[in-house]
Amino acid sequence: MPQNAENILDHENLFRQPEYVEMFENKKKNFEFSVPVDKVKEIIEWTKSKDYQEKNFARDSLTVNPAKACQPLGAVFVANGFARTLSFVHGSQGCVAYYRSHFSRHFKEPTSCVSSSMTEDAAVFGGLNNMIDGLANTHSLYKPDMIAVSTTCMAEVIGDDLNAFIKTAKEKGSVPMEYDVPFAHTPAFVGSHITGYDNALMGILRHFWDGKADTAPKLERVPNESINFIGGFDGFVVGNIPEIRRIFKTMGIEHTFLCDPSDNWNTPTDGTYRMYDGGTTKQQVIDALNAKATIVFQQFSAEKTAKLIADHGQEVVSLNHPMGVAGTDQFLMELSRITGKPIPAELELERGRLVDAIADSQAHLHGKKYALYGDPDLMLGLTQFLLELGAEPTHVLSTNGDDKWAAKVQALFDASPFGKNCKVYPKRDLWHMRSLLFTEPVDFLIGNTYGKYLERDTGTPLIRLVFPIFDRHHYHRMPIWGYEGAMRVLVMLLDEFFEALDANTIIPGKTDYSYDIIR
Amino acid sequence: MGAQLSEKLQDVFNEPGCDKNQGKSDKERKKGCTKQLSPGAAAGGCAFDGAKIALQPIVDVAHLVHGPIACEGNSWDNRHALSSGAATYRTGFTTDINELDVIYGGEKRLYKAVKEIIDKYDPPAVFVYQTCVTALIGDDIEAVCKAAGKKFNKPVIPVNSPGFAGVKNLGNKLGGEALLDYVIGTAEPEYTTPYDINIIGEYNLSGELWQVKPLLDAMGVRVLACISGDARYQEVAYSHRAKAAMMVCSKAMVNISRKMEERYNIPFFEGSFYGIGDMSDSLREIARLLVQQGAPDGIIARTEALIAAEEARAWARIEPYKARLKGKRVLLITGGVKSWSVVAALQEVGIEIVGTSVKKSTKEDKERIKEIMGEEAHMIDDMPPREMYKMLKEARADIMLSGGRSQFIALKAKMPWLDINQERHHAFAGYEGMVKLVQEIDKTLYNPVWEQVRLPAPWDVAGVLPSASVRLPNRPAAQGWPLEGRGENALDSSLSSAG
Repeated sequence: MPQNAENILDHENLFRQPEYVEMFENKKKNFEFSVPVDKVKEIIEWTKSKDYQEKNFARDSLTVNPAKACQPLGAVFVANGFARTLSFVHGSQGCVAYYRSHFSRHFKEPTSCVSSSMTEDAAVFGGLNNMIDGLANTHSLYKPDMIAVSTTCMAEVIGDDLNAFIKTAKEKGSVPMEYDVPFAHTPAFVGSHITGYDNALMGILRHFWDGKADTAPKLERVPNESINFIGGFDGFVVGNIPEIRRIFKTMGIEHTFLCDPSDNWNTPTDGTYRMYDGGTTKQQVIDALNAKATIVFQQFSAEKTAKLIADHGQEVVSLNHPMGVAGTDQFLMELSRITGKPIPAELELERGRLVDAIADSQAHLHGKKYALYGDPDLMLGLTQFLLELGAEPTHVLSTNGDDKWAAKVQALFDASPFGKNCKVYPKRDLWHMRSLLFTEPVDFLIGNTYGKYLERDTGTPLIRLVFPIFDRHHYHRMPIWGYEGAMRVLVMLLDEFFEALDANTIIPGKTDYSYDIIR
Repeated sequence: MGAQLSEKLQDVFNEPGCDKNQGKSDKERKKGCTKQLSPGAAAGGCAFDGAKIALQPIVDVAHLVHGPIACEGNSWDNRHALSSGAATYRTGFTTDINELDVIYGGEKRLYKAVKEIIDKYDPPAVFVYQTCVTALIGDDIEAVCKAAGKKFNKPVIPVNSPGFAGVKNLGNKLGGEALLDYVIGTAEPEYTTPYDINIIGEYNLSGELWQVKPLLDAMGVRVLACISGDARYQEVAYSHRAKAAMMVCSKAMVNISRKMEERYNIPFFEGSFYGIGDMSDSLREIARLLVQQGAPDGIIARTEALIAAEEARAWARIEPYKARLKGKRVLLITGGVKSWSVVAALQEVGIEIVGTSVKKSTKEDKERIKEIMGEEAHMIDDMPPREMYKMLKEARADIMLSGGRSQFIALKAKMPWLDINQERHHAFAGYEGMVKLVQEIDKTLYNPVWEQVRLPAPWDVAGVLPSASVRLPNRPAAQGWPLEGRGENALDSSLSSAG
């Protein structure tokens, strides 16, 4: 066999050795009895056609390769953003294992989260006992300051009432009566992870502001000059929040992040295991009620939360993941308007540098076509930035974006000459995108790790700017917000452009006549 | 400076093919035609660089730089001169001499380097470039090349153009002299035809020659040798058998064209591949010269048919841009032949030229500009960056076309800019190239970033937001000329005359 102890071949090479190649061929010939190779080829070719696209877009039941995750994932994200808070998902434990691995693969950090581990009898008799035991165990084992409860579908289908269950569990002594257990119903069969983010965050704010499920008096708002910031579900949160904090500090604005997981998912290796690190404290949540205004950076990630805050008398400014020059301008101007503080020269300098960098490289991205998919607000931000660069966001697709979102994207298209031939696709999946990439090819694809199959099938180079990113490390550590973040995104777009150009000119003696030193 | 080299310089300075040169008195001519450098002011490239860029496009040759690392280190493969075959010219060969070589002489190292190249790469020839340091310590590269060539039975060509000899343009010519002295006329082609021509002073930057070659093929014209774009050593060696020649970049290689006419009776004309009219004129002239040299005159009709078809096709493709580009004002900062050939090209699409630089243009170039732009042509002899900045800043132009080194002046003046020199990414020659140039100008002009660049930050608009933005401590307010204090020529606007 080709594998021997002297020279261990790694997986990508081992199975190309003649012995294996022959073995696979024999297996195929003698045992698989599969469709003839020609037929397979023919069908593959057909899937690239306009005819197939029509059938593909006529799908009404099946979703293939969805670009979204479920509500509890968003809820776990939120819980991770509060100080010494443990995320507790009421329902089946398998789901919870998914959330943990999903985040850990993206952030390269452990993600603490527990489940009430419901089983078959819980499904029949209700999950109350699991809640009682679960809260008790969580409290005594991991000693969090707060347990944020959300649900999986299983608990939702049988109709478990979190409010009542938590009350009962407290009465039974699982946790002290005054112990904070905010909760949110987060069924996966409604919405997506951004809905879960919204529900979980609203659950926490309501818990503290509205009398802790009738166990305490409601808080009275005494307005001050502080600003709340809600980032929304964000795969680059580890880089983005420090960047936003820097902007606030530069402008001298008193601020509170409502949900800040940037430390929890960015702990140092120094010999100490931090089960909890950083995050928004309970006192900050309580004080946040008094803020002058709240900035919601991603509107579709916090619609209900925004309403709750507005109902408490605060001004709420909902943005759509503003990025790039004009996007960041808009964000800063809102900050300046609300606080009455001028935008400092330091930020204007950063802005000038960003504009300079864009101008330096304008020839390369101008007129390039992009296909992009992901969460609705991120798509809006990226669309705006691409148009600003003179690029064409030809296909903008979102599985969890609705018609309201699509209208917003269309408005961006309409406002720019580069949006003329661009189209928005709400409630579509990556298999739809596959058809689009064949029938109306683009230069680059912007998406998450799952986009690599599209890259493989269609040959469209992939730029990873969307959660989750499993197959590249540490992108999440760099911001994509603010002028600095826009610089990072610009570099990523340019890098892929140059990589593609180099790859297209790299064959010695054949294409390398354009393999140049200076680009 | 060695006696040999100064003799060569005198020879090069005495250029009968150059009207300007001939208009001078003997004494003036002796001084040379290149402007004296003013110490302390930033300047363009040196004679070594000029020789290197003129010859480096010969693709199958090993170009060996005899000197310390910087000379090759900085000039290695940086000009987008493309090859359709061998890539030897892209490998950086240098003797990388050290301190001991400076003391004891670097000739032995050079000899060994040549041997190693021949052992390992076996190129058809090795070109050896002299540099300042090796010239100063007295290394005799001619002698070493002669000995090595004999020993290894392979052409080893000395290119004696050390940096201190003068400016880049002089180096272009000295590079040409090396070809005249050691290469041209040393081989015979397998066969010749009445349609063989040389193209001189074309470097195939970004593959421009390839935009023109199909046209020549269609005419039935064979490019016996292009000096030096995408050239093979052998082609240059037998280029003396061509029937006629076209000279593309006058300042860089006028000496080659003229001396080949003298020695081998190859008539030449000066033409351009830039712009539709110029391209057609060049094709006509090639046909005319070939017929004059005895080719059957059927080629004239073939050429006219080709021109008619190609012009119609190009105009049809440019048409949609005319409305968008009409009346746009362009400032051209480039050198030599491009100063007039691009002017004509742009005027064809209705673009207004607010000025063109003539710093590196010959008298003939200037005459052509006057012809094209009229007597009032705004010719800028040597525009210091401050002037250029002012002109752009006052928006007397909509776009600047120049080489990479002026790019940043344009950008800081918030001015769209398009690279038309050697570092450009697109080929602009021939009919195809003109369409491409128009496309690129259109793209650049209409890039949304310029709007962004020209607008102040939105909060700076009075009344929108709390004003009086806070200045950073220790950072003076940025105002006026942004390059203040760095000297007039800190960002040198001069560009390659060979490009």
